[in-house]
Amino acid sequence: MTRLTPTLTLAALLMASGAAVAQTELMLWHMEQPPHRVERIQVLIDEFNAAHPDIVVRQEPQNWGEIYAKAPAALAAGNAPDMLFAIPDFVPILKELGAVQDVGAFVVTLDERHDLLDSAVASYSYDNGVWAVPLYNMAMSLWYHRDMFETAGIAVPSTWTEWLAATEALTKDGVFGIGLPASKGLYTDQVIYTFMANNGASEIYNADGSFAFDTPATAEAYAMAAAMQQFSPPDSAGWFWGDAEACFASRACASIVQFTTITTFDTQGGGNAAALGVAPIPRADGQSDHATIAYANAVMLLADDAEKRAAFETFITWLMEPAKYGRFLNMEPGLFLPVTADGASAESFWANPMAQKYRSQIETMIANSANGRLFGFTGGNTFPSIAPISGQNVLSEVLQAVVIDGADPAAAVAAGQARMEEIAQ
Amino acid sequence: MTSAPVPVRVARRLSERRLAILFVAPALLLLAVTLVWPLILALDLSVRDVRFIGQSGDFVGLANYADTLNSTRFWESAGRSLIWVVGNAVVQTALALAAALILHQRFPGVQIARVWILLTWIVPTVVVVIIWRWLLSNSGGMINPLLVQSGVINAPVGFFASRESAMTTLILINAWRWFPFVTLMILAALTRIPADLDEAARMDGAGRWKRFSRITWPLLQPTLAVLLVVGTLLSFNVFDIIWLITAGGPSAGTQTLPVLIYETAFRGYEMSQAAAMSVLTGLFLMVFAVMASRGMSREAGP
Repeated sequence: MTRLTPTLTLAALLMASGAAVAQTELMLWHMEQPPHRVERIQVLIDEFNAAHPDIVVRQEPQNWGEIYAKAPAALAAGNAPDMLFAIPDFVPILKELGAVQDVGAFVVTLDERHDLLDSAVASYSYDNGVWAVPLYNMAMSLWYHRDMFETAGIAVPSTWTEWLAATEALTKDGVFGIGLPASKGLYTDQVIYTFMANNGASEIYNADGSFAFDTPATAEAYAMAAAMQQFSPPDSAGWFWGDAEACFASRACASIVQFTTITTFDTQGGGNAAALGVAPIPRADGQSDHATIAYANAVMLLADDAEKRAAFETFITWLMEPAKYGRFLNMEPGLFLPVTADGASAESFWANPMAQKYRSQIETMIANSANGRLFGFTGGNTFPSIAPISGQNVLSEVLQAVVIDGADPAAAVAAGQARMEEIAQ
Repeated sequence: MTSAPVPVRVARRLSERRLAILFVAPALLLLAVTLVWPLILALDLSVRDVRFIGQSGDFVGLANYADTLNSTRFWESAGRSLIWVVGNAVVQTALALAAALILHQRFPGVQIARVWILLTWIVPTVVVVIIWRWLLSNSGGMINPLLVQSGVINAPVGFFASRESAMTTLILINAWRWFPFVTLMILAALTRIPADLDEAARMDGAGRWKRFSRITWPLLQPTLAVLLVVGTLLSFNVFDIIWLITAGGPSAGTQTLPVLIYETAFRGYEMSQAAAMSVLTGLFLMVFAVMASRGMSREAGP
């Protein structure tokens, strides 16, 4: 027995070291930089690592402003992460570099288990593959101060005619009826696209890759957005997302078009849940359905290695289980929406105090997201030029031509298509 | 005392030269690594067809240069850069000269004021941007209510709502940030002007304006000339404030060359095109710096 002990100890040590060697490491880069989001992700990673001794997941938070340049540089230097969060227009860049792995089969498995939102998967499905696993959804809605509408005796608008009239009526006594951005940036791109989508002009490309932007419906959408700008604060030509929320929380804006304003409203706008209204973005007169911009944030697999792929699938499968998924979404309560059917009803999602307090608003957001789409990622018509078109904010450039320079909407839209063609070349 | 024979002197001079080269070598090597090598890479990139970092790209000769020189956006941005540089030079110099003349006086608290004025220069750019975006905002900002209450305007205005107002506002913000640096330089130059010159002129009955225009201003010229060159190069390359406040908008109204180059490289994914723009811009700046230096040398005399 005495002689056997050192041998067994050595064997145990060897086995332990063997197990350590067999660990698969996964580096995750994500752009959820606020400390509370990083902390929540770390809590989940720690739980996963504890439950899976053969896999070690680590996170490195990145910046959205830098990742478009940093990720290709990291790939070139051989320092790329194994998993990288993405939004749809980021994927074609890395895909063109041959760095993104097809996760189609895995997404089918997840869909069978959790029922993934079709529109979330669609944004990443093209060129005979699925290039990222959707994780959480975001959709724009019309947010409004209920009391301002009620005092003015105005019903929540459903059509453009009603919307324009309501906005004009609400613009008085230092209050702006609506806060709409007219800056050059992604926020403006997204808002103007909601106008296009609500006038049946959601396609940027034709199936053959030619552009479908220069249409009367698109010009009408820009004309409507420009008309609404009259009732928006004059500094909206320099707005980013936070400016709209600040305008809404300070009650200088009676309404805004935004993904969410729950956290800002709760902390800076009084926090009376009953006073916070949310509705679908009004549709053009004659359109039958409300539409919006919606897109899923997703995770790409960059590692071209069977072992890492298996570890990636284990990690994402674990994360999408309803018991964990709701906690993952609530790293930012009231912003990130579920992309799975069982996630939308998960106890872990609704147990959050903020989610409970603003439950009706979040349910409306989820309902709005069902009819969401994203420019350049509709109908399977996705082409690599969408990345520079989105990156250079061509949609908002066109709006600025109309609003700032006073160009005719039809002419500005035609010039916008010419610019897209120039970029695509 | 006899001098060393010629071969010994030559040998000594040679060894001194070797020693000098040895001393300078680390600095030269550092320069080569940090300046020359990236410059060579930029030149190489500019004659290829690289869209993203990491691609090797095909050799395309001078096509990117031809595209750049034929690009309306490039020349429009160059024009805006010129407005930006001239605007900044005028506003910064005026503010700095006024501040330096005040701080050159003796009054209680002047030492504190000289330190305090540096504050805007010390504050990080991001903080400057947040402060000014908030001050100029229509939702809780202080500038609009102040202007309305004092009767300057009837209703709140958008400082970034038009190309002209956006460029003007940005120039004022940037000048506000940088004028302390220029103030310090001018203040240093003022302290070097002999006090007896001013005193003599005063004794001869020269007034304040005459003393300033005949003594102070001419003696400040060399400093102002250096500041013109340095300030032009510094303000030409300003990117952060413009990008963080307007991102080049509205309607490209503040899209200077650095902003255009950044957009082309990292938003338009045309690395080679952006490299060609950078090389051309670098050449323009180099020509300006050489011409300005020659001009200054000529004025300074032999």
